[in-house]
Amino acid sequence: MKDLMRIKCLISQDIETLLNQQIKKEAHSSSLYLAMASWCNQNGYDYSADYFTKQSDEERMHQLKLFKYVLDMGGNAISPEVTGIKTEFGGFREVFEDALEAEIAITQSFKNLASRCHKEQDFVTMEFLNWFLKEQREEEYKARRALELFEVIGEEGTGRWEIDKHVNDITYSED
Amino acid sequence: MEKACIDINQLVNVFSNNHGSVYQSDKLNCFYIDFGGKFARFNCLSLQKLKKTVEKIDIEDLLLNTKRADFELVTFNGCEHIYLLSALEIIALKDLLHGTFTMFKLNHLVNDCLYRLVY
Repeated sequence: MKDLMRIKCLISQDIETLLNQQIKKEAHSSSLYLAMASWCNQNGYDYSADYFTKQSDEERMHQLKLFKYVLDMGGNAISPEVTGIKTEFGGFREVFEDALEAEIAITQSFKNLASRCHKEQDFVTMEFLNWFLKEQREEEYKARRALELFEVIGEEGTGRWEIDKHVNDITYSED
Repeated sequence: MEKACIDINQLVNVFSNNHGSVYQSDKLNCFYIDFGGKFARFNCLSLQKLKKTVEKIDIEDLLLNTKRADFELVTFNGCEHIYLLSALEIIALKDLLHGTFTMFKLNHLVNDCLYRLVY
């Protein structure tokens, strides 16, 4: 009997489902970052608004990268429905706290996906995921560093203005 | 599609239960489901979609909710077939598809061991 399912698609249905869930999470993150950019812009934090707009674009790029992979492997990539995006934030600091929380959730999700790949011995998808795992190092680092600015600079006086000004200076280097 | 149009000897029986069977055609690279009085042809993608659609049906709600019919229409976008099934028939179809996909996994392992990993 021909192995028709394998001939049609490289990845298993379980992996395909998890990748589609990840596509949805990336889409959710992209929308969340855009909502954060909107809030920052409305409250006079222009540099942070730019920072979150760039982050939103990156998440969208991640989503499309996953989407293409599922299709390239012969799977069914699902364009996700994104709902329940938080648009109101309690303050400048809360925006960055939520950003870090979102990145942690994404990292955990990728770890779960990688764990499933190991279990199924799907080393092809695992190799593809390595790029994302590496990317999460940078994403979490940047989100954590941004939040640390609140401790280092402080929010009193012109503190929030200073923090906003320095958010875009955060860069990650492996070296 | 009528069963009579298909030469059943050319098909491989993937899985059967008391209510139906799933066959694979190696020649046409497709599947046939003999269930609920229908003999319906599916490709790989549509068979996966049918499985997902059936798995999503909340049997408990179907049985306990008095405001809805005891039957469920089973179909999906792009599907040429519609099944009108009772709760018991849905359970049987779920079992049939679950068994079928387990056989696919087993067949994949067998193919790997016998052909792909041996040179």
